[in-house]
Amino acid sequence: MTPEELESKLTAAERNALGALGEVHDSAQLEDFRLKFMGKKGEVTAILSGVGQLDKADRSRVGALANTVKTNIEQAFETRKRAFYDQELNARLSTERIDVTLPGTGLKPGHIHPLTQITNDIIEIFHGMGFSVAEGPEVETDYYNFDALNTPDNHPARDSQDTFYTNINPSVLLRSQTSTVQVRVMEKTKPPLRIISPGRVYRNEEVNARKYPLFHQLEGLLIDKDVTFGELKGLLTEFIRLFLGKPLKTRFRPDFFPFTEPSAELDSQCPFCMGSGCKVCGHRGWLELLGCGMVDPNVLKGVGIDPEEWNGFAFGMGIERVAMLKYDVNDIRHFFTNDLRFLEQF
Amino acid sequence: MRLSFDWLSEYVDLAGITPEEVAEKLTMGAFEVEEIRKVGPDIEGPVVLGEILEILPHPNADKIRLTKTRIAPGQDPLEIVCGATNIEVGQRVPVALPGAKVINRKDGTSLAIKASAIRGVQSNGMLCSPPELGIVAAGVETPESSGILILNQAHGELGTDIKKLFHLYPDYVLIVEPRSNRGDALSVIGLAREVAALLNRPLKRPEWSLDVAAAESLNFQVSVENPDDCPFFTVRRLSDLRVGPSPNVIARRLEAVGVRSINNVVDITNYVMHEYGQPLHAYDMSKLEKAEINVRRALPGEKLVTLDGKERTLTNEVLVITNADKPVGVAGVMGGENSEISDSTTDIALESATFNQARVRRGGRLLGLASESSLRFERGVDVGSTAEASDRATFLLLKYCASETQPTIGKLEKAGSDQTKTVSIDLRLAQLKRFLDADFTIEQVTEYLTPLGFTVTKKDAQVVSISVPSFRQSDVSREIDLIEEVCRIWGYDNLPVRMPKGAVTAGPADQTASRSRAALVASGMCEAWLSSLTSADTNPNLASYSTQNQETIVKVLNPLSEDHQVLRQSLMPGLVKAAAYNQDHGRKDVWLFEIGRTYTRLAAGEEDIFGTGVKEEMKVAGVLMGDRKMTAWKGNEAADADFYTAKGVVESLLAGLGIDLKRTRFFTPKTTNILHPSRSAQIEFDRGASKKGNNNNNHQQNPKSQIEHLGFLGQVHPGFSDAMGIKQPAFLFELSLDSLRGLQKPNSFKEIPTAPETTRDLTVDINERVDHAAVESCIAASAGPILQQVELVSIYQPAEGQRSLSYRLSFQDIQRTLTNEEVEASLSRIRESLVNRLGGSFRV
Repeated sequence: MTPEELESKLTAAERNALGALGEVHDSAQLEDFRLKFMGKKGEVTAILSGVGQLDKADRSRVGALANTVKTNIEQAFETRKRAFYDQELNARLSTERIDVTLPGTGLKPGHIHPLTQITNDIIEIFHGMGFSVAEGPEVETDYYNFDALNTPDNHPARDSQDTFYTNINPSVLLRSQTSTVQVRVMEKTKPPLRIISPGRVYRNEEVNARKYPLFHQLEGLLIDKDVTFGELKGLLTEFIRLFLGKPLKTRFRPDFFPFTEPSAELDSQCPFCMGSGCKVCGHRGWLELLGCGMVDPNVLKGVGIDPEEWNGFAFGMGIERVAMLKYDVNDIRHFFTNDLRFLEQF
Repeated sequence: MRLSFDWLSEYVDLAGITPEEVAEKLTMGAFEVEEIRKVGPDIEGPVVLGEILEILPHPNADKIRLTKTRIAPGQDPLEIVCGATNIEVGQRVPVALPGAKVINRKDGTSLAIKASAIRGVQSNGMLCSPPELGIVAAGVETPESSGILILNQAHGELGTDIKKLFHLYPDYVLIVEPRSNRGDALSVIGLAREVAALLNRPLKRPEWSLDVAAAESLNFQVSVENPDDCPFFTVRRLSDLRVGPSPNVIARRLEAVGVRSINNVVDITNYVMHEYGQPLHAYDMSKLEKAEINVRRALPGEKLVTLDGKERTLTNEVLVITNADKPVGVAGVMGGENSEISDSTTDIALESATFNQARVRRGGRLLGLASESSLRFERGVDVGSTAEASDRATFLLLKYCASETQPTIGKLEKAGSDQTKTVSIDLRLAQLKRFLDADFTIEQVTEYLTPLGFTVTKKDAQVVSISVPSFRQSDVSREIDLIEEVCRIWGYDNLPVRMPKGAVTAGPADQTASRSRAALVASGMCEAWLSSLTSADTNPNLASYSTQNQETIVKVLNPLSEDHQVLRQSLMPGLVKAAAYNQDHGRKDVWLFEIGRTYTRLAAGEEDIFGTGVKEEMKVAGVLMGDRKMTAWKGNEAADADFYTAKGVVESLLAGLGIDLKRTRFFTPKTTNILHPSRSAQIEFDRGASKKGNNNNNHQQNPKSQIEHLGFLGQVHPGFSDAMGIKQPAFLFELSLDSLRGLQKPNSFKEIPTAPETTRDLTVDINERVDHAAVESCIAASAGPILQQVELVSIYQPAEGQRSLSYRLSFQDIQRTLTNEEVEASLSRIRESLVNRLGGSFRV
């Protein structure tokens, strides 16, 4: 065929193809069209095979035309194909309607116990201040629970009405405070040191809304050179700010503990009434949050630390107490009943 | 203790200071004031002295009359309606004018006086009776309690303020939290020292002196068996007293501090106790056999009826006061009924003594007895003021209990010594600086400590020597105690606040517990915190399900109740009980876990880390009962937890901790009492097993040291479940968290294979007694290195005693594409091995 014949064939083929595409009404017809005009045995392909036999000058001219024709047909085809796809997809979408208000599936979520959450919150804050977690045994000797903590033999806390004793031997008891860990840590670790110790303690007390024979404390200890009482106040004030998340007023009030001197109670402005007085704070406007003080020199001497060289402070708080405040829980027994209606609230 | 503001102001100058200010200072000075209560008459507004000029009948009522009462000289009288019958013309009476507030006689509430019409006649005030003015026993005679208080010329001019005349002002009671180490402050005088120091106000003393000569005839013998129990004991006799009601000043103050008025003698002993902190006791001389007292330990079985009317059986631990060798009181705690003061008492023996703190506490606890007296002795009473308190009480008894005959007193008979030690401590200003971060001068230290009773002497420019008064020697014995005193009076609010200086960084945290929690919560479990104190398994019907070993159990010798007798040895029973509790409250979806300790008594020779003779182990345990699906609407309703649900939770836990599941074995023999014997498994970890697969599932083939026992998994024993009232199958697991901690492997990345994976399905028919684990391990052992994964896809029973197990096997070589021949060769080895070793068969 001459180049001219080829050119007119190409032009005609394009016209035919685009005309035929106009007659296509669904995907099946579109596929027939593709085979007829675009497949390996299709019309345009057949014409194109003739282009190769032309001489060089004609070949490039006719070739360019052939490519234009081919591209035009392909583009028209793709446009059509897209239109059919969209149309069919749209038709399908409306038939696929579901009731989105039906409940989701899967397992009910688990919950972490509120006391764990509180303990972790506290640990996280002190960890950021350089304190490491240390733990100690719950079954303890009277040495660690009392003697090493400067609590004399005739102290009321030693009474069996306050402390549980065991069948191991007369000196083995269930610890009544986490302060025991202070001593165990200081025996093994040379200062400077910063530790916190969360854990379970036991007291021989009748069960009621505020008391349970076992509960949890978190103890802190810092030993360094020339530690001041004001640093204790500063650290704990910062802790309260981070823990309660509100800039509440704090009050540092003298108190007495056998193993610290001077000692203090840290009160926070009541977060419920902001100090104006309410049921939670007994109309005092203040809530006792933790006990603390400078480590008594007798405690340091007992573990072989020279109190003239080192000093430091200790603090302790009741986890349940803090949790009851933070979550407004009115009965300590809720924490140990393990009623799902309680646990699932946290 | 309760502190009367009025009483306190007798010992410290409180001019211009409010009760609130005192409370605030005490609270910030170590004595927390929990509450301030207003007590006594609360009379406000104009209440004045008036004179009745005329009494007219009321036009509309019989029982009330109309008076004309003048309240100022030369003024027109006021018309006031009055219902009292004791009024007469010319009497002087208290008149409450409109605007005044008096006390409603009927209910004690406040009554506001208004000018108003009473049955049609205007009344411009009220004539008052003693109760309406809060005058209880004022020594003013009234014919009847409902009558108007009749006054006379001696009470002053018309218009005189009645409030001033009768001191009708309220008192304020401060409820002060007692301090265990400050027995000295359980008194008005003790707290006055604190208030004086904290407010920098001068101390005062009421004026009195005991200048009565002692009568020789009133002698008394006192002796103490053991001075350790009772260092100082005194008695003074008084005779010719008259027992009767207390004077108003004493009764009112005692009432304010919560002490019921009994009679003048007993009230005075209580009054002085509150004032000095020194408990006193008065015996009726006529009820003592001899004029003597001996202080000794009680004999075992000796009996005494105490003042509260209860008979007490005494022991050798109790210190008693005896007369003619018979107990007449528990020393420092409570007197005996046999020598009690009565209305007819005239002669008394007044005891003032100091007893050993621990002895009083021990005696009181043994008898289950506590009193205002034991409260003080337990915290320490100052021997230095024992004699003075006796003198003070004697002075008051002479003043307020006189009879027609002039009372006489004997001399103060003493046993033991009231000598006090001299204690001096050096205080370095540099140490004040070190602890308190502030510079103090010697003058400041002197100013702070002197009102508290300390004597400050300058030693050199940097050191002062401080002498400690007898009443503070029990709590102040070292320099640090003085630093506390200085800080307290200076004020904790003045401390320079800063963050700690040192630079210590925190060590790594153990994540085992928190990772376990995360894994279990992700499986839908809720965390429980159970009591570690539990009941002892004494019920013989439940003995076979017990998790308690009688040899190794840790028992509490003084348990609070049966429920808190022993330390648990497993978390599982508690979890079952918690499941039962939730079931009984309507829950069918109880999936709980706990991370907590178990306690085992160590046998001789076992490693004792803490020196307590007890091993404490961290466990992680769970219970699964019922279906924890969020919703049931998408079919699959019968998906209650079963053994495999629980196993899945355990496997997720192990995976969450990075523990290699392929080295973990679950097998049936020998589990634990609380679990169903044929639906439970022991869980072990094989430290020696190869990374992938194993030659044999039989754990016994590996040396024992390589095997780590982790715990148990299984269905709650149906017998136990029935006994607990559990209505559906429940499943338990318990693993040692301490063991799991050591098995965690740090994550490390393995190259993702680029070569394609080939999968083949394989179904083998095999005797149902052959475990899946045996089949899986046989497949792994015979497949060769190209087998990557074996997944069980279905199980069915083709015939009795047979199981058909279908597996999907994945083959892959990390570097190259496998040929079909390689895969087929591996499959033939697997088939052959299953046939030869496990008796499996294949259907074509």
